[in-house]
Amino acid sequence: MAARPTTPASPKNVKVNSPVPGTPLFGCEHIQLLLSNNQDTINSSIQYYKMLLRVIFDKDPIVAQTSKTLEGLITTSLTSNFLCLQCSAILSEEERLKHGAKKGHRFYVDSRSGSLFCQFCEDFVWDPTLEDLRIRKMGTGSFSSRKRKHEDMFSDSVKESMKEEQRYISANTTAASCRADGLRGIYNAGATCYQNVVLQSFLHNPLLRNFYLGDGHQSNDCQVSHCLSCAMDDMFQDFYALENTNGYTAANILSGFWISEKKAFENLVTTKEQDAHEFFQFLAEELHERNGDGKKPETGSEHSCNCIVHQTFYGKLQNQTTCQNCGGVTNAVESFLDLSLGLENLARKKGKKEPKGEPSLTLQDCLDEEYIKSDKCEYRCRNCNSSQQARRDHSIKLLPNVLSIQLKRFEFKQGSRDRAASKIRTKVQFPLHLNMLPYTTRGQSDNGRESQELNRSCVYDLLSVVEHVGEIDTGHYVSYCRVGDQWFSFNDHRVELAKKSDVLGSQAYLLFYMIRSLA
Amino acid sequence: MASPVNTGRAGVINAPDDAGSMDQLAHAVLDDLLYNIVHDLLIKVHRDEKIARAATAAIRVEKLASDASDSSTPDARPDVKVETDAAIYDEGKVTLKGNPLVTTHDIVCPRCHLPRLLYPTDGKGARKPDPSIIYCKKRPYIDKPGYDIYGQTWVAQGPGRGKKKKDMEKKIDPNTPADSPTPASEGGNVGGGAASRPPNMLSFPSATCSKCKRCILVTRLNNHMGSCIGNSGRNASRAAAQKISNGNSNGNGDGTPPSSQKGTPLPGSRAGSPKKRDGDEMDEDDATDNDAHKKKKLKPMAASVNVNKKLVVKPKVGAGIKKEKKNDDDDGPTVEVAPKKKVTKVPSPAKKLKLGVKPLMSSPLAKSNGKAAVGGGNTGDDAASESSGTLSSPPAA
Ligand SMILES: [Zn+2]
Ligand SMILES: [Zn+2]
Ligand SMILES: [Zn+2]
Ligand SMILES: [Zn+2]
Repeated sequence: MAARPTTPASPKNVKVNSPVPGTPLFGCEHIQLLLSNNQDTINSSIQYYKMLLRVIFDKDPIVAQTSKTLEGLITTSLTSNFLCLQCSAILSEEERLKHGAKKGHRFYVDSRSGSLFCQFCEDFVWDPTLEDLRIRKMGTGSFSSRKRKHEDMFSDSVKESMKEEQRYISANTTAASCRADGLRGIYNAGATCYQNVVLQSFLHNPLLRNFYLGDGHQSNDCQVSHCLSCAMDDMFQDFYALENTNGYTAANILSGFWISEKKAFENLVTTKEQDAHEFFQFLAEELHERNGDGKKPETGSEHSCNCIVHQTFYGKLQNQTTCQNCGGVTNAVESFLDLSLGLENLARKKGKKEPKGEPSLTLQDCLDEEYIKSDKCEYRCRNCNSSQQARRDHSIKLLPNVLSIQLKRFEFKQGSRDRAASKIRTKVQFPLHLNMLPYTTRGQSDNGRESQELNRSCVYDLLSVVEHVGEIDTGHYVSYCRVGDQWFSFNDHRVELAKKSDVLGSQAYLLFYMIRSLA
Repeated sequence: MASPVNTGRAGVINAPDDAGSMDQLAHAVLDDLLYNIVHDLLIKVHRDEKIARAATAAIRVEKLASDASDSSTPDARPDVKVETDAAIYDEGKVTLKGNPLVTTHDIVCPRCHLPRLLYPTDGKGARKPDPSIIYCKKRPYIDKPGYDIYGQTWVAQGPGRGKKKKDMEKKIDPNTPADSPTPASEGGNVGGGAASRPPNMLSFPSATCSKCKRCILVTRLNNHMGSCIGNSGRNASRAAAQKISNGNSNGNGDGTPPSSQKGTPLPGSRAGSPKKRDGDEMDEDDATDNDAHKKKKLKPMAASVNVNKKLVVKPKVGAGIKKEKKNDDDDGPTVEVAPKKKVTKVPSPAKKLKLGVKPLMSSPLAKSNGKAAVGGGNTGDDAASESSGTLSSPPAA
């Protein structure tokens, strides 16, 4: 973090990261020798490592996966090769030993992960300076943490905050105990599991967490009575600053919710459905109102706001209408808080194709349907000055940092939001890692597809899942959230360890994906 | 180490000897992929573990260095040379000696510098901790059926799925009103009294309604607030908000049972039988939670606070307790003298967790790369991918 390596073109000397308390300066004694050598060796070693990382992460994988033996035999392998840090050789594992013995080259880079292998240690080595570069390369696609590539695909507000770029680092936190890790259940206050699951997904959302723990909304200064953002602030404090392990009573959230006059609130009260998705929308809008530009988040139009909710969840959709008569194109852009994906039609289609067994969909099927396939509509064309058939294409113009997806499991027949509602139980498989490039406006343009880097910058990692179990009326909401690499299941006040297979096997209703390139 | 043709690198998925060449290739590919999966898992654990051990070596030698120097400024990096089996400290720089996976056998917390407990104390993979050692408070999570990650369980078994909830409420409801004001009665009769309850068995707390200031068992809070605050739609809620800001704590006074649509938990969630709990029960709720009852309850509430707070040891927590009390428990008396406005706000400046700066972004790939590598100290979710999260897995040395 300390030393910002310069770009390869720059003649400036590269530096080893400066000492950080509690961390050795080098990954091993041998790297230490290499990197405390003369400046030329330091420069060339670090520059060359960066080059190898570019080969590994930006080029076609076949490059790094193809090795050559001393005898000149060329092999492409599925398993890792080793890229010599001291010459241009790419070697298989057996050849690596020979190469080391012959040339005296001792440092190699794993062709699949970019990790550094020291042949003296006969072990992988995690050198702070080099590892920092690798993490950055994997994360942002760039060695500088200041900019993210393909900025036009992400919202402005994020660019702004990227410049401030302050990572969530414990050194700066005060008081928090090692015990306080944000993992607590929330008591069910009587049929409030639909709130609990959404609150848990907010609590384990790194952007929201950093905002609230970074004093983004100061409940001490806020004059709004029964402010839900203050209630959130208090809740974050209780989860991340106290050592308590018992359940949390979200009394302030609940009373703020009952007092709120939001439209969503009326819906929630007057309909029979207590829907986690509606509560998510309600909470997002409420928090926007408390932290944002004061404007109502309109649906159907473009709303650019800098508030934490917009920075976290909002993206933009482009709806392109092409007149079938004159070919004239109109574009409309609108902001979205989440993507709602219909299941019913798709499930029916799929059921016809594969009549035996339960139809099973993938999340990508649903996204394809919505953001790759086009549909037809009637539209009044200005050019033709008449009503014409038009083709509509939807694509995502601006990707959000946290992508929220609703799988429409509750369908309401013909307007009546009453008893006619039914639950769609179709199994929808969803991935731990989701590439959104195919659904973006840029990814659908001709030149967008190829770049590895562009692909990588659109990769999302699953962050939390809200599941609805049981019947529509008597069912229950539970959720799964990922903290680091570990998944936890939240069933009201009860928090348990969860396996990835539990998560992926759940009947997801809401999915939250976090963009990986956010460094 | 050239692999035979009928399998891949892992050598686990073998094609039969008489398999055709496509068949052999398919087996080899599958076997290679299996190898990669295992390789990726191992390298992740290896990374977490090795970085944590290297940090441990560094922290230990730094400690020696600061002990060796008689500096009065503890933060400065002393200008001395110290050496352990695992690391060298020289003029503020720490370098490793040998492989930390070999030289260092335990892990200390980068934050509190106490040793990390490496195995859960209960459930799957449990081992007995050394009673003579004070461990860091971050412990491996417990994986045990019927218990949560902290090894806690609840007096009335937590609502399971679907219909179970109904049964649970039946158990709780008769106990909530007036009778035996012992902590056990707070959560239902299952535990059979505080004495017989194991220390890790918690009861359901109560919370104060922001409007009427009554102490309500948490499982009935929504029901109560729905009728107390949100009883008849928009205007009423506005009026309610008004009343609350004015500090009207005389109860809602209107006494009318809420219409079943508004006051009760609605179906979408998992209340088994919302209808059943409407009017009459709400009245009962209102009636029993009167002031006299509240006072009677105070003591037991305090007792249950202690049960819940048993893990709280740190000095900072003083403020925390105050606050938690307000959230989880009846603190009627405090609220009555509280400022009229913003009663729901809990001012707790003392215990604010701060991030010093104003970070918005998280670490890159927090999921697969603990920050230990770059930052040294960790908190929050990143900490989980730090070594302690994977302690039970064997290092891949
Ligand atoms: Zn080495
Ligand atoms: Zn906003
Ligand atoms: Zn036209
Ligand atoms: Zn600690």
